[in-house]
Amino acid sequence: MNAVTRAPAYLGIGLVWAYRVTFGALFPTTCKYHPSCSEYAVQALKAHGLVRGSIMAGWRLLRCNPWSRGGYDPVR
Amino acid sequence: MNAILAALPIIGQLETVARHVLDWLHVTFHLPWAWAIVVLTIIVRMLLVPLTVKQIHSMQNLQRFAPQMKEIQKKYKNDKQKQNEELMKFYRENNINPAASCLPMLAQLPVFIALYYSLKTFAKHPPAGSMSWLHFVPNITWHTTSFWGGYVLLVVYVGSQMASTFFMSATADKTQRYLFMIMPLVFVFVIARFPAGLVLYWVTTNLWTVGQGLITRRLMPRPAAPEKRTSRTAPKAEPTDESDGGSGNGAAPKGPAPKPQPSAKAGPPRKVRRKKGAGRR
Repeated sequence: MNAVTRAPAYLGIGLVWAYRVTFGALFPTTCKYHPSCSEYAVQALKAHGLVRGSIMAGWRLLRCNPWSRGGYDPVR
Repeated sequence: MNAILAALPIIGQLETVARHVLDWLHVTFHLPWAWAIVVLTIIVRMLLVPLTVKQIHSMQNLQRFAPQMKEIQKKYKNDKQKQNEELMKFYRENNINPAASCLPMLAQLPVFIALYYSLKTFAKHPPAGSMSWLHFVPNITWHTTSFWGGYVLLVVYVGSQMASTFFMSATADKTQRYLFMIMPLVFVFVIARFPAGLVLYWVTTNLWTVGQGLITRRLMPRPAAPEKRTSRTAPKAEPTDESDGGSGNGAAPKGPAPKPQPSAKAGPPRKVRRKKGAGRR
């Protein structure tokens, strides 16, 4: 991806960081996946851009529920 | 930051939904605004019950493996990445469902944001009806530190947050656990700038967590402790018999603290019978 197509992804990454320093810090939890959901979101946004990265991050969040097994799940 | 977030259309929609629910509680049930917030919080937490109960059960299950997990953490103390990977591997091998998950926590985020912006709007355009709560919070839209009752609310917040962390933090790492427990003391300075209504939401949700934790623990049979490991070496990558767990019936840990499993008490010391004629060597 070139710099122009990657630019909107940084909006998403900014939001993830905003979440991390506010709500994420106030409600501490440990993720059952590795990398954690927020780290996964950042990596997915960097690798696949805003739209696909957001969908991937959203899908990961839905998978990060009490019924799932968790484990090693990197961005592909 | 606030301005950027407020510009997002979804924030506006969230606020509208929260306002509708609060209006409904206020008009239909004649609840003062503060109590409407409390009831809204309870409704949200009731909807999340299936998620959180499952989480508590998983956490109790996880405690059975606390000693083994501690060993892994000790072994890879200096390499967090490797430590995480090894822990994940351990979970998979032992069929453990890690208790922590992002969804139940994140599900509360929209409510929090919606309430935050609703209270901001309330402050600008106060609606009809009383804004006070229990005589010691004169106005839920005011900053928490702008009246003496706010300090009471902050003390209750810190206590309830610590208690809820005690019940819900799903980490076996003691240091991390202490960190989570201390965090409210740090965040109290951030929260002091929030409207009192938001702190009210927080206190309610924490107290719900504590109550739910207590009830679930009482109703749920205690998980059996795993068989005691005989060696103190770290577990290998391959699943071992003793880490299989579940078959042991020793004493189960009482609290959520990741304590090493208490050794099975064998009662009075065993007496060794000796033959009358046998002398000591």
